[in-house]
Amino acid sequence: MIVKYSIAVLGLCLGLIGVIGATYAEPSKAPEDVLQGLIDETQSPYLTQSEQNLMMMPDNPAYWLEEDGKALFHEKRGPNKVSLEGCDLGKGPGVVKGAYVELPRYFEDTGKVMDLESRLVYCMTELQGFAKDDPAVKKRHGSSSDMMQLQTYIAAQSNGMAWKPPLDHPMEKAMRDAGEVLFYRRAGMSDFSCATCHTNPSGTRIRASVLPNINEPEEWTKAISWPAERVGHGNVRSSQHRMRGCYYQMRQAGLQSNAEAAMALMTFWTDAARGQPAILPDLKR
Amino acid sequence: MMFKRYFIVLGVVLIGCLVSVPVWAEEDSGAKEEVDYTTLSPEELADHLIFKTDSFDLEQDVQEGGTARQRMEQDKLQKVCSQLKGRRAGQEEVQQLHADARASIEYPEAGIELGDWEKGNEIARSGYGYRIGHKYDSHKKNSVGGNCYACHQMDPEEITFGTIGPSLAGYGKLRGNNEAMRQYVYEVIYNPHAYFVCTHMPRFGESGFLTQDDILDVMAYLLDPASPVNANFQADSEQE
Repeated sequence: MIVKYSIAVLGLCLGLIGVIGATYAEPSKAPEDVLQGLIDETQSPYLTQSEQNLMMMPDNPAYWLEEDGKALFHEKRGPNKVSLEGCDLGKGPGVVKGAYVELPRYFEDTGKVMDLESRLVYCMTELQGFAKDDPAVKKRHGSSSDMMQLQTYIAAQSNGMAWKPPLDHPMEKAMRDAGEVLFYRRAGMSDFSCATCHTNPSGTRIRASVLPNINEPEEWTKAISWPAERVGHGNVRSSQHRMRGCYYQMRQAGLQSNAEAAMALMTFWTDAARGQPAILPDLKR
Repeated sequence: MMFKRYFIVLGVVLIGCLVSVPVWAEEDSGAKEEVDYTTLSPEELADHLIFKTDSFDLEQDVQEGGTARQRMEQDKLQKVCSQLKGRRAGQEEVQQLHADARASIEYPEAGIELGDWEKGNEIARSGYGYRIGHKYDSHKKNSVGGNCYACHQMDPEEITFGTIGPSLAGYGKLRGNNEAMRQYVYEVIYNPHAYFVCTHMPRFGESGFLTQDDILDVMAYLLDPASPVNANFQADSEQE
């Protein structure tokens, strides 16, 4: 009898320890610790190129945007006076944890593969009722924009998690493969493609900057970890802002906001970092 | 009788107009046409995304005349080199692209003589020119640069240089400056595929990015003994 009782108590205790353990074992690494893990593994010259930037990461100005974005997300806003808690970012309405590392993905309600920015525009117009030209929706860039604050908050809820964009839907697969073609597609005055800068041996520089190589997943995860404070810009920037800048430097045509071509490229580039931990928010040169 | 025939003709013309208007309208709204992406090959979908989905501002005017659309359309070399994804081209393709590249080169009428290395220095350092989109490069405000330093080391004392291309530090000191050398350097800058098929390097002459005079100035920066590329060069600083 006593033995049985003891076993039951022991079982309860073990269970309790398990629950507590699971609660505290949640990944709570800071972005700089996630990055340090990758540096320890690879010694990559891309990851270590700026000691000053590594030192600034604990004081990343992007944390202010994360706070503001959190408030914006839960605030009842727009003509319909509802929060974004009803917004489905792919893991169900209002679920932000781990949503970002599984984007872009296919959404039934639009029939399109969408990234975080285009999904936010969809939720803000369809759910909250904002007009497309309302500054809340229209202003896409700069740390003071609602869009960057919301993106930073949502993305940060995936910090340290492995990138795992779903490729189950045929549309996701089609966009990933078209994105690969776009990545290698040379055009324009300079014959450049994304691959011109991002397929060179690790450590290759453009001017003073070490370039990330898409074939080195531990480098590539940092390369695609947006939003990130861009120290040289004094602003937190998005994936789409980075991509627009690359097309600009390549002397190709101006990439438009929420372009489908960008969705394809992003599906490809996220797949290239599959399994590596996201660094969110990041801080870059 | 005449009158009747006139009415018939008018009727036919009117019907023709009515029928052709919707056809026209359909062609015009081609951008919004429903396409099942999963039935297209990756190459077809990529082309569709570029040209049919408003992903890019294709109608923007560009510095060389025309619109941004032509910046997105690929010529033969761009197409073949893109498909390789960094692998080596086949022997036949290499020979064809090499021959095309050679045929593209136009030479200065006065012969290939070195220009002004100081101007060449500016061109080598400047990344200005031919950018479009959200921050259009005005060639009236600034002159066009070749951005050589983005990829190459040149003046050994300059510490910010890229490494996508080989170091050119001490280029003239190491190789001399005879006619054959000048022709080679001119050709490589004008169209590097004449020597290195599917290289990352732009075709600065063929594309019109740099003028013939610009190329001669950059050549002076590389080959003139007085240029810092050579004057600052000691054999062992080549190591960087």
